[in-house]
Amino acid sequence: MNVDIEDFLVQSGIRRETLTVWIEKAWITPAQGAAHVELTEVDVARAYLVRDLSDDLGVNEEGIDVALHLIDQIHGLRRLLSQLRGEIKDG
Amino acid sequence: MSNPYEVLGVEPSASADDIKKAYRRLARKLHPDLNPGDKAAEERFKDVAVAYRLLGDAEQRKRYDAGEIDERGAERPQHRYYRDYAGAEHGPPGGDHADYAGYADFAEGDDPFAELLRRSAQTRAHRRGQDMHYRLPIGLADAINGTRTRLTLPTGETLDVTVPAGVVPGQTLRLRGKGAPGGEQGQAGDALIELEVLPDPRFSQDGEDLGLEVPISLREAVLGGPVRVPTPTGHVELTVPPGSDGSSRLRVKGHGMPRRGGGRGDEYVRLRIVLPKGGDAELKDFVSQWSAGQPHTPREEHPA
Repeated sequence: MNVDIEDFLVQSGIRRETLTVWIEKAWITPAQGAAHVELTEVDVARAYLVRDLSDDLGVNEEGIDVALHLIDQIHGLRRLLSQLRGEIKDG
Repeated sequence: MSNPYEVLGVEPSASADDIKKAYRRLARKLHPDLNPGDKAAEERFKDVAVAYRLLGDAEQRKRYDAGEIDERGAERPQHRYYRDYAGAEHGPPGGDHADYAGYADFAEGDDPFAELLRRSAQTRAHRRGQDMHYRLPIGLADAINGTRTRLTLPTGETLDVTVPAGVVPGQTLRLRGKGAPGGEQGQAGDALIELEVLPDPRFSQDGEDLGLEVPISLREAVLGGPVRVPTPTGHVELTVPPGSDGSSRLRVKGHGMPRRGGGRGDEYVRLRIVLPKGGDAELKDFVSQWSAGQPHTPREEHPA
């Protein structure tokens, strides 16, 4: 579900400039239209994650790159495992 | 929940800095997004977060130490974690971040497991890319005549768009294969371009019809004659019939807005009679002596 940019900033608690930087770093990759970015609930959750990593966990920029990459791999693997489980169940 | 000092594993005399360090150490281990699928870690993280919200804030900590509030004072509604969206069951259909490079080596054997992996990789390679949505504002004349234009995407790439003649506002063009790339052997998605037709400030708009007021001279009104009037795509010559006045509406057929499914609405021209500026003595003389005008009472013909 799409979230408008003002809601996004309120929900994720980050500032507009921060969002721009995170999009440049590809930490958040919204679908982009000609005049605006399209943000979803998923992007809100991901922004929360980046914020937790930097503010709460004290991870620096390089660390966030590494963490996101590993987290993305874990989700790839988890999805694969779930798919395999499905195939095995179906025989 | 138990004593927040115990939850964070610090002494009640710990400094603010120690508390922060202790929280970070625990959070790095227990954050739900770093432990997808681990319920126990999530529960512990919740306690740790609540404890830190209490003890990490000097004011709240003082009130807690004084017994004014208990540990539940810092509980907050939970937001949803990224893993809730990126997780195995909730994978978004495309454009997500999940990365599959981490098991490529397992797919190399000839056992049934490798076979399954290869099959799933193949499915992904054939996955179609996402459709991308754009908006393109165009002028009314371009909507009528069609145009070629170039759209610059936020990524810096450009997209050549051919707008066919006769598009209506809100119409969407589909450029096949110009959306997000698909898997290695999958087709790219489409670019969907919604056209916004900008109004032409010279005309008023009523549905598919356009309206325009054109000034004419008294002579043109009485005797009729050709006048040049603008349309969205250039001027046309219109014949004002003899004896026209401000109530006349002339129709320029087929020069209005493009119509859905083909054709166009009409343009309506209202006439406005304009007298020479500053008055004209001869005209004044003529009208005061004009006998046929004396008994003419238009307000009785057209009661208000």
